[in-house]
Amino acid sequence: MADEPDGATAYEPIPAPRTAPDEAGPADGRTNDAEATDTETTETTETEHDGTDEPEAGQERRWSLPSLLVLYAAVIAVAVAVVYHLGTVFLSIAPSNPISQHNATTVNAHVMPEFEQNWQLFAPNPLQQNIAVQARVQTLDPDGGRTESPWIDLTAQDVAAIRDNPFPSHVNQNLLRRAWDYYTAWHDQNEKSTGFGGPLSVEYLKRIGLQRIGRDWHGEPVIQIQFRSATTDVTGPTWTGAPATTAPSYRQLAWWPATDDDYRGLGVS
Amino acid sequence: MRALLTRGADAAFQGWTTVTGRTLARYQAAIVRIGVALTFGTFLLREWPHRRVLYGDLSPWSGDLSRQLLSTNHAFSVLAWSDAGWWFECVYVAAIAVSVLMLLGWRTRATSLVFMVLVLSLQNRAVLVGDGGDNVVHLMAIYLVFTRCGEVWSLDARAARLGTRRAGDPAGVAVWLLLGTALAFCQLTGFAKLGMLDLGLYTWGTFFWLCWLLAGLRGALTRRAPESEGSALLDALTALLHNAAMLVIAAEVCFIYATAGWYKIQGSLWQGGTALWYPLHLHYFEPWPALNNMLGTNSTLVTLITYGTVIAQVGFPFLVFNRRIKNLMLALMMTEHLAIAVVLGLPFFSLAMITADAVFLPTGFLVRVGQGVAKGVARVASTPVLRQTIMRAPRATEREQEAVSVIR
Repeated sequence: MADEPDGATAYEPIPAPRTAPDEAGPADGRTNDAEATDTETTETTETEHDGTDEPEAGQERRWSLPSLLVLYAAVIAVAVAVVYHLGTVFLSIAPSNPISQHNATTVNAHVMPEFEQNWQLFAPNPLQQNIAVQARVQTLDPDGGRTESPWIDLTAQDVAAIRDNPFPSHVNQNLLRRAWDYYTAWHDQNEKSTGFGGPLSVEYLKRIGLQRIGRDWHGEPVIQIQFRSATTDVTGPTWTGAPATTAPSYRQLAWWPATDDDYRGLGVS
Repeated sequence: MRALLTRGADAAFQGWTTVTGRTLARYQAAIVRIGVALTFGTFLLREWPHRRVLYGDLSPWSGDLSRQLLSTNHAFSVLAWSDAGWWFECVYVAAIAVSVLMLLGWRTRATSLVFMVLVLSLQNRAVLVGDGGDNVVHLMAIYLVFTRCGEVWSLDARAARLGTRRAGDPAGVAVWLLLGTALAFCQLTGFAKLGMLDLGLYTWGTFFWLCWLLAGLRGALTRRAPESEGSALLDALTALLHNAAMLVIAAEVCFIYATAGWYKIQGSLWQGGTALWYPLHLHYFEPWPALNNMLGTNSTLVTLITYGTVIAQVGFPFLVFNRRIKNLMLALMMTEHLAIAVVLGLPFFSLAMITADAVFLPTGFLVRVGQGVAKGVARVASTPVLRQTIMRAPRATEREQEAVSVIR
């Protein structure tokens, strides 16, 4: 069958590649081979082939010169695109190196935002801390006094929902956890915003807390909210005799005012 | 020297006819299509009770916050166009429906494009609730647009086999017109916000219209001049694009493992053989603490899995080129991901990764699995109980007779 890749017989009726411009030959030829060998490993055992719906375009056909030029141009264009795409994606996910530093703008222009990716899964070292995000609110009493709620462990709510659940929800696994990561990524040690994401992360975190706690606390309207993280080191493997860590370390943020605007669209009343 | 040149030319020619003339890895493309659609569809169903908090009007990541981010990173999301509840519900329900269509392989060329639009729209609406699994689905949804992922195991393939889609294919034309109209409507009425459908050299607007025009051209050629050179040329170009996209998907999977492995080698805990211990004791990834404790207490097991993970991930891109080792690697990787699904409580991440792994499964194996599934389905469908429930009407008399005989 002409379908088989070893079809030496398929050569004769096609003068086209011989008359083709030679400079295109080696360059795209190499790419073709690479693609062919790559997929061959998965394709060789293919037995049943329903060739009916598949016109053997490149095989038996005698292309006209315009078609041939289009095909050559397309092969070169696609090869360049594939190399460019894979090259920039690789540079975007590889550890920072001179090539990626020099071409940062080019790489980002292509990779961001839709091809953005990060595969540092539990690497270089897995997270060795349990970070619990906690919040408390301040309410306004009718007589003008202010009351503070105790700390409410929002992460503990997530963990409770994940326990014994074969299909944990993103609401519990990612929402608060990644919001806190987002906040810490855009703030320095003194809780000062370091750029664009700073204000966004504050508003996001605030709204997550307000949604969980609600408009009122013990019947009084919430006027301020405060967050802190309680970080506990994971006790090392038992067989190493690592000392058990108990006391968490805290990172406490300032009180943030809670306005009606902050509550908009949270579905709490 | 001359012989060498000739051989080189022959090899180049063979490669040439292969990439432009044949649709390679059709079963692999189909399994990725099915896997990604299954992952996203089941994820959306699972999150149905939380959909409004994750991506809709109840999200703490409000429409305004979302638009602030989208207008700087220029990610694509139709959900940024309107905060109306009906719009969100429509998009979410459509995403489920299109996942089903994608899974079944109905009008795959158009469906894969709509599927990508919906995946990007939902994920980019609130990118901060996603994880690695969402990232894999996101990438594969884009790559699948360029593949012929519906050539096998699809309603499209079935229709082609049975020849049921003839006489101008009115449904296909309707889909084409509908998508064109929707695109034009969103652009012309200004419903599309943040310049997401603007025309330009490298924009979504241009890309969508290009796809639409090519689909139209393809349809017209198939109808008017199926034997023409233009038709064959378009077919060859489509095959070329498919083959390139499959190469990119395969390379992407290698990238995932390679970078995951490279970064791990640099970590002292992975070197020390205890890294596995820590994820097992993070509360966010601990649905079954008893199971994690059981796994974690055996130091030999922890070390073996820790080292094994690094070796497998670093070696993956090199070993996939050896067929026998590749299959062993795939079995190991899929097993590890199944374990992650349960132990760390990440079933959708694991399903996405298993789908990505599946692009390297051998065709013979996939064909056999496909035949097995088909046989299984046929057997289940032909069991008496099911036959009676499915084809109730023709069997009614039979059952009456049975009843009568029982009474007697």
